[in-house]
Amino acid sequence: MDYVILSMILLAIGIYGLLTKRDLLKVFVSVELIATAATLNFVMLVPTLGKGLGEAFLILAFSTDTCVSGVILALLVIVHKKYGTSDIGDLVKMEESKEESEVEA
Amino acid sequence: MILEILSVGLIISACLAIFLDEAVYSVAALAGTLFLTSLLYAFSDAPFAAVFQFAVGAGTLAILFLSGEMLSETPTKTSQKNLMLITATGVLLSLPAIFLSISEIPAALSGISFGEALWNFRAVDVVLQGFVIMVVALGIAIVLHEKRKGEK
Repeated sequence: MDYVILSMILLAIGIYGLLTKRDLLKVFVSVELIATAATLNFVMLVPTLGKGLGEAFLILAFSTDTCVSGVILALLVIVHKKYGTSDIGDLVKMEESKEESEVEA
Repeated sequence: MILEILSVGLIISACLAIFLDEAVYSVAALAGTLFLTSLLYAFSDAPFAAVFQFAVGAGTLAILFLSGEMLSETPTKTSQKNLMLITATGVLLSLPAIFLSISEIPAALSGISFGEALWNFRAVDVVLQGFVIMVVALGIAIVLHEKRKGEK
């Protein structure tokens, strides 16, 4: 089994979700999949760099991934509280109508 | 053989996480993806990575389940036919990873232990990552606090 191909497939699924899904929660799930695909590559480093160094890289990647998840979730909660929706299309429409009303005023 | 089965499950659950309409089911599928990834690490002779993946996944998913319940709007049901189609797509997508090979794995360069690697080779990274995580946690707390103050 090839980890590089597996990670490329996961990356493709994540990018597809990121580009096509309009719900912010789905976008977050897509970002998680992309991060998982990236960290999966470090398993390849385990036999190459030695078990210790490969796993050390992997764990550093995990911590970055956790930071990204935290920031995205905080933004998601704020956007949902402010606008009452997590749909990207609705958010864009709201912003456009807000800008139009400001121009008219 | 076990790695192949895990990789098929991983791709199927990733497909389900993206294509299922209900937010909670989608998050449950993501839980499956992360759990299978940690099993994959465990069977690939990377036990520390497996434990970290499991811990990080459990934390992320606990929050995601809460926010999924809180933020999800009117749920739409995924039909049985679509579910089968997504599963079949997942199986088809996982086939190249099982049957093709594009990378050559060279022999291990050294037998450094995990603790040695983390503290002797990547010590600066580890300390800096600690700072970054602390700053991010503080930043999130401040943003949420400001937001709550603005609401009052």
